[in-house]
Amino acid sequence: MLSVNNLSVNFGEQEVLSNFNLDLKQGEIFALLGKSGSGKSTALRFIAGLEQANNGSVEIDGVQLSVDGEHSVQPELREIGMVFQDYALFPHMNIEKNISFGINHLSKSAQRKQVLELLAMIGLEGSEDKYPHQLSGGEQQRVSLARALAPEPKILLMDEPFSSLDKSHKDHLVLQVRQILKKTNTTSILVTHDKDEANSLADKVGIIQNKQLTIN
Amino acid sequence: MNIKTLVSSTVMFSILTVSSITAVQAAIDELVTVYSSRKEHLIKPLFEAFTKDTGIKVEYLTGKGGALIERLKLEGTNTKADMFMTVDAGNLWYAGSQDLFQGVQTDTLKSNIPAYLRDPQGLWTGLSVRARTIVYNTDRVQSEELSTYADLATDKWAGRLCLRTSKKVYTKSLVSSLIHHHGKDKTADIVKGWINNLAATPNAKDSHVMSAILSGQCDVGLVNTYYYGRLMDKKPNSPLKLFWANQNTTGVHVNVSGAGVTKHASNAKAAIQLLEWLSSAKAQAIYGSLNKEYPANQNIASDDVVSAWGSFKQDDMNLAQAGILQADAVKLMQIQGYR
Amino acid sequence: MEKNCFKSKIWISVVALLVAMPIFVVAFSWALPEHELWAHFSENILSDLISSTLILLLGVGVGVTLLGTVLAYLVVMVEFPGRKWLEWALFLPFAIPAYVLAFVYLGVFDYSGYAQVWMRETLGIPGFDIRAGSWAIILTFVLVFYPYVYMMTRASFKRQKINMIEAGRLLGVSPIRVFFKVSLPLARPAAAAGLLVTLMETLADFGVVSLFNYDTFTTAIYSAWGDFRSIEVAAQLASLLVLMAFFLIYFEKKARGQAKYYSANVANKKPYHATGVKGWLISLFVFGVFMLSFAMPMLQLVVWGYSSVADEWSAKYIDLIASTSILTITAALITVALATILALPRRCKQTSIWLKSVIRLATLGYALPGSVMAVGLLYGINQISIINIHFGGESINHIIYGSIALLLFAYVSRFMAIAYSSIEASAQQIKPVFTQSARLLGASRMRLIWQVYLPMMTPGILAGGLLVAVDVMKELPATYLLRPFGWDTLAIQTYELSAEGLFERAAIPALIMVVFGALLMSVFQVLDKKSSRST
Repeated sequence: MLSVNNLSVNFGEQEVLSNFNLDLKQGEIFALLGKSGSGKSTALRFIAGLEQANNGSVEIDGVQLSVDGEHSVQPELREIGMVFQDYALFPHMNIEKNISFGINHLSKSAQRKQVLELLAMIGLEGSEDKYPHQLSGGEQQRVSLARALAPEPKILLMDEPFSSLDKSHKDHLVLQVRQILKKTNTTSILVTHDKDEANSLADKVGIIQNKQLTIN
Repeated sequence: MNIKTLVSSTVMFSILTVSSITAVQAAIDELVTVYSSRKEHLIKPLFEAFTKDTGIKVEYLTGKGGALIERLKLEGTNTKADMFMTVDAGNLWYAGSQDLFQGVQTDTLKSNIPAYLRDPQGLWTGLSVRARTIVYNTDRVQSEELSTYADLATDKWAGRLCLRTSKKVYTKSLVSSLIHHHGKDKTADIVKGWINNLAATPNAKDSHVMSAILSGQCDVGLVNTYYYGRLMDKKPNSPLKLFWANQNTTGVHVNVSGAGVTKHASNAKAAIQLLEWLSSAKAQAIYGSLNKEYPANQNIASDDVVSAWGSFKQDDMNLAQAGILQADAVKLMQIQGYR
Repeated sequence: MEKNCFKSKIWISVVALLVAMPIFVVAFSWALPEHELWAHFSENILSDLISSTLILLLGVGVGVTLLGTVLAYLVVMVEFPGRKWLEWALFLPFAIPAYVLAFVYLGVFDYSGYAQVWMRETLGIPGFDIRAGSWAIILTFVLVFYPYVYMMTRASFKRQKINMIEAGRLLGVSPIRVFFKVSLPLARPAAAAGLLVTLMETLADFGVVSLFNYDTFTTAIYSAWGDFRSIEVAAQLASLLVLMAFFLIYFEKKARGQAKYYSANVANKKPYHATGVKGWLISLFVFGVFMLSFAMPMLQLVVWGYSSVADEWSAKYIDLIASTSILTITAALITVALATILALPRRCKQTSIWLKSVIRLATLGYALPGSVMAVGLLYGINQISIINIHFGGESINHIIYGSIALLLFAYVSRFMAIAYSSIEASAQQIKPVFTQSARLLGASRMRLIWQVYLPMMTPGILAGGLLVAVDVMKELPATYLLRPFGWDTLAIQTYELSAEGLFERAAIPALIMVVFGALLMSVFQVLDKKSSRST
């Protein structure tokens, strides 16, 4: 369903990742492990269309999104969802407005219905009128997930989403996220440096070592 | 805060404001437009009386003399101003030299205002006379000690003199008159002597000069007489008196406030009518007394308060000289370090 | 990354170049050299003027930085008696026009003022000329302009995480060392921004320097224009002033360096509690500044106003208040709207050199004295007319001169720097990640601007708007020269009366201005509290 071919990433003059190839099936959860500076985040952001790369192409459901390191389809039109490390919730919008930001083409009532469903799914019923700063880190991350899932993206990308949470909250949240992704059958890629986290969330784990991706 | 409403109302508002201003008020009544560097409270009563007498309305815009001249120059033929009114002969002369006035020489003006207070070509007409002379603290100075402007530069006044800043046009005109009478070299010596005698940094205002004299910071100073009048009005018992300078030589330095009809006036006829009216006995009585100045119309007696200060011999220098020599005067003062 | 940036370069350039028009007019003056006057100036007055200007800038700069930062630190980091209302009250001097404050100070502290009279008669201390030297005028400027530094460093101190201070304390470091080693370095960018605004205001000032009869660079500009009737030399001198401002901005950017804004949990808890004598001493100091910079001048105005209200108050004031409000509000709205357009590209990490330069140019007008700005505009319009006539068109002078549009243009050009710096600061806080997530959620460019950028910049936009409004209300020289018939403002009324020595009556319009200014500053306060709660 997703296929990334021959992706290579340079930091300055130095190549950090070469000949990165990845194929995912519908609903499959993939975790990408690597040290900082290994180019894993860049790979993810290349898939999203947010960053250029030296080389590489991206195809989703048979549609070419990027060819030879250039993006032929802009991020807005890729139908890709993304969860960021520091959540990136809009501070001036309440939870409901944040979640419905990507589905404003729907009618008001349909938007509302979906927001309530998503809130129930992430276990934050009744929080729709709150503002991001009134929530804890874990709660903010769940809202961020709900916002990314609301438009029903073809692929969900997660860039170190749990790294600013403490261990006890994290373990619980990782399992919760896996349940949600399975329930919605969302194809996902997680970028992390934490092996346990990768193993408990993903169906398939890849690791970047010496510029090469190894999938076990 | 809804930014959309904010921005769209901004746009609407500015469009409305701009268009309402550009839509010129329909001139139903006859109207004279005046640019004036004479302050509003000194001209408004006069214009109101004029409108009452003649039915002609007066619209005015106040501003600083130099800035208004610049504006008149730039507005050129499109100016709304029919009359330009300002203080100081230097300013009037400069406006005339920039071709901003038209010559107006009517019999009424000639009979009301003496020739030396009018421009030879009738470009402008003096409407009030102000004298700049010596003021002194009666507790510390005897009038016999005083004589001329130049005398204030002598050693006996060391640390006893207060002056107004050289940036004020009245100071510039006074120094122009000194250059006219004594030449540049002698004037430079006088100015240098003044600076040596100063008890304080030159003041921003004549009223500050007088406060300094009253408080004992200095003993003598130079002021326009109407400032003295205003102070005595407020504090009648102040130990302060005017001394008429240069009575045995050139006479007290006088200056004028005045007006001219603009070259591109759209209503020159009414503007001339206003000018003539301002020179009339009736207007002159108000004009001078509003500001405790001396009337330019010699048939009118000064205000009672002003008359009480005594009569004096005026400097008969042609006032255009104040304008012609102004740049020299400023240069000279800057070189001597007169702030 | 570049793709994420707002790219209407042409629009931004057009706006910036338009706002910068007076700067260009001033710069083009070099096309008409005038050697004779330059010879006189450079031989006789210029070196003195440059040194006195530099002394003034140095003194005012050191003074406002010290006073503003210390006050801000005290109200944010230390709990002392009366802190709560003093924190608010310290903004108020911003509402008093600088020339009014200078006027009151001279009336009170000059040789003939009651403070000195009392000192001589009661204490037997000999009197002195406070306008001699430069300390008194420096102090006056410091008391007028410290709110700029106070305002900006206060916001920065508030964003500093309390645990950084606590870490310092646990290491056994004294509060004063924590201030110099931790808090102050972190607040440096904010202090530099406040300092920049202060120095530009000082460079452009004419009212205070003429009351003190202190010669600065502006003195030469006015002399060239007023005495020697050379608008060209005046403009040439003014362009040097702009150049000086340009260097100031450059150094400010350097000082700001790589420092980042700290947006973090706002601490309502104060790390230090000053109790007992120490607390009261701090109170006394802060209260003293407030007394000197606001309460005392205000009291003097009230005393003057009380004695003259019967003579001076009339229906005319309804008109004055109306035109002042309309000009103030309209100018603030337009300035803020344009400043927002200019500040939008600041979110991007990399903006082109061209954009950076034109935006910079658009903010330089703040260093031009108001009347130079006004004449620059008149000349600019005249040049357009001349070109127009050359190509067979008509002069546009009569449409533009004396129209409210030109006056508003002058305000926008002059006060762009104030609005821009405030809005820019909030634009820089929009992290790229917000843009990215919005784009991935399919937001169009317009939606991105309206629903993400603008709301996130709102605190800066509102603060900028209010500051511009207060400044426009106080503005005198450009208004005096450019206003249309019937648009007298409170500032003009104040000036006209005080220029004729009618100080008691001048106190009435001055008081109304201060009251309005104080109201605007209160609105600023309320918004400030709201926005600090929501971040």
